[in-house]
Amino acid sequence: MNNTDILVIVSLLPLSALMLVLQVNPYHALVIRGILGAVAALVYAVLGAADVALTEALVGTMLSITLYAVAVRSSLVMRLGVVTEGETLSEEEMPEGFGQLLSELRTALKKYHVRLELVCYVNEEALEQALQDHEVHGTCLPSEIKEYQIITRIERLYEIFQADTTFPVSRWEDVVAKKLTQQAELSLNP
Amino acid sequence: MNLMLLAMLLALLIPMYEAWQDDNIWQKMLAFASIATKTSILILVVSVLRDDWMIGVVGVLILSLGNASLMLLAQIIKRLNQI
Repeated sequence: MNNTDILVIVSLLPLSALMLVLQVNPYHALVIRGILGAVAALVYAVLGAADVALTEALVGTMLSITLYAVAVRSSLVMRLGVVTEGETLSEEEMPEGFGQLLSELRTALKKYHVRLELVCYVNEEALEQALQDHEVHGTCLPSEIKEYQIITRIERLYEIFQADTTFPVSRWEDVVAKKLTQQAELSLNP
Repeated sequence: MNLMLLAMLLALLIPMYEAWQDDNIWQKMLAFASIATKTSILILVVSVLRDDWMIGVVGVLILSLGNASLMLLAQIIKRLNQI
């Protein structure tokens, strides 16, 4: 082992680090982080620090990417509440328009690497309560204009859906305000 | 001996290029598996060249650990697309 060999091996480290920094998708970045950890362990072992190499492989690669994968998976998700008869919803039971809505939402969210998760509720009251209690980020209800409409309480999701989907989207605050004015009008003019 | 190390490093660059270029996550995982194995084999070769048993034991441990972390990560990525 002469100096040139060591230099070539060590130069792999900035190369893989550059690959990691230039990565946009969080899941792809996690895999590249694993590669960086493997290369770093090699460099440490070649430079004579066997203990550091072992720690890098154990903690830096195995533990950290597993924990990060769990964290990214549970945070980059939009929970959409729907009303269903059963506990779960399978792809075959979905009506035609609903499947189209789901695929449109998925395409819109995919640009930002966000997943879509469906949460099922038994009736509309439970769905509204869940939205109020911050259990879901948005709800999907049947509407008069175009089969389904989406109500969301997150401003950024509202902007994304407004720009990228054909289905009507509304803010939760607006829906609540509209309901309150309707109730006030009813009580004023019975 | 020098030539062998150089050949192994060149072989290591192939999956690196693949991991950088390919957009499919499973192709990236394959490249990761390849790199994890190749780097630990390189550690073993270096330990034999230097006649250093400490590095050799660490190389064996990393060789088995790399695959363990790969399996943990694959289990999580596999469940991404399920509702």
